[in-house]
Amino acid sequence: MSDEMSDEAVKEEDRQLVARAQAGDISAFEALVEAHRDKVYGLTLRMTRSEADAAEITQDTFLSAYQHLKDFRGDAAFGSWVHRIAANNALMRLRHRRVVQAAEEEIQGPEFTERGSLAEYPLQDWSRSAEGKILDAELGRAIQGAADRLPEGYREVFLLKDVEGLSYEQIAEVTGDSIPAIKSRLHRARLALREAIDQFYNQGSAGG
Amino acid sequence: MYTCKDAINLLLNFLDGEMTPEESRHLKEHLSGCAPCVDFLRTYKATPGLCKRAMAQQMPKEVSAKLTEYLRARIKSAS
Ligand SMILES: [Zn+2]
Repeated sequence: MSDEMSDEAVKEEDRQLVARAQAGDISAFEALVEAHRDKVYGLTLRMTRSEADAAEITQDTFLSAYQHLKDFRGDAAFGSWVHRIAANNALMRLRHRRVVQAAEEEIQGPEFTERGSLAEYPLQDWSRSAEGKILDAELGRAIQGAADRLPEGYREVFLLKDVEGLSYEQIAEVTGDSIPAIKSRLHRARLALREAIDQFYNQGSAGG
Repeated sequence: MYTCKDAINLLLNFLDGEMTPEESRHLKEHLSGCAPCVDFLRTYKATPGLCKRAMAQQMPKEVSAKLTEYLRARIKSAS
């Protein structure tokens, strides 16, 4: 009863569209663009935080996908291929931009006592309410704010892994960083985000 | 014995299924005696999914119209 096509069905449809586009059918390529533009735009907007940059990078990404369509091999999914082109383009744009970096020490995380025990016990286990269908708008803003406060390298890794679903290997490829470095940054980013969500759920009960 | 800090440092590897048998044993031991860390683990695990939903974006109509126009012009001039 799902109104979304299964992953496999989408990939199969993409495969057929790619084959037609490779044979010169422009409408097939346009159908691919239509199917993937939201994801590509979302990725570039999240990474650059600029609507103008996101629109431009999305254009470049699909144009470059079109120009390299001949090199695209059918064994990978078209979606993850354009996704990686977009991630690459967005990262290049970020590297050229001077951003005010948040200091690493400012990354939030759980606090520990001198003996290494959790200083504050979670007041409630909100992992279940996280499964609800509709995401609370205020929680959404709290998460976006916390992601914005992460230093750039941490934010990038979090976006590429947890939001865009790239593998560690793919992230290493686009960022040029080592996998252990990527994992350690991802962990700290998740801790900071978990902390922000925890604060959101506990703001009522903690009396502050 | 692992402290909470040791345990929490391993959560990423734990969720990725990448721990040595020894780490795995120590972590299990700690979790079996530390309810706060069990809650912490659950919420840590739920965090990426929540974030993914919070970060969702859709392309505005006028941007997608421009995209189509842009690609049509480029593709036509190339062929
Ligand atoms: Zn503990």
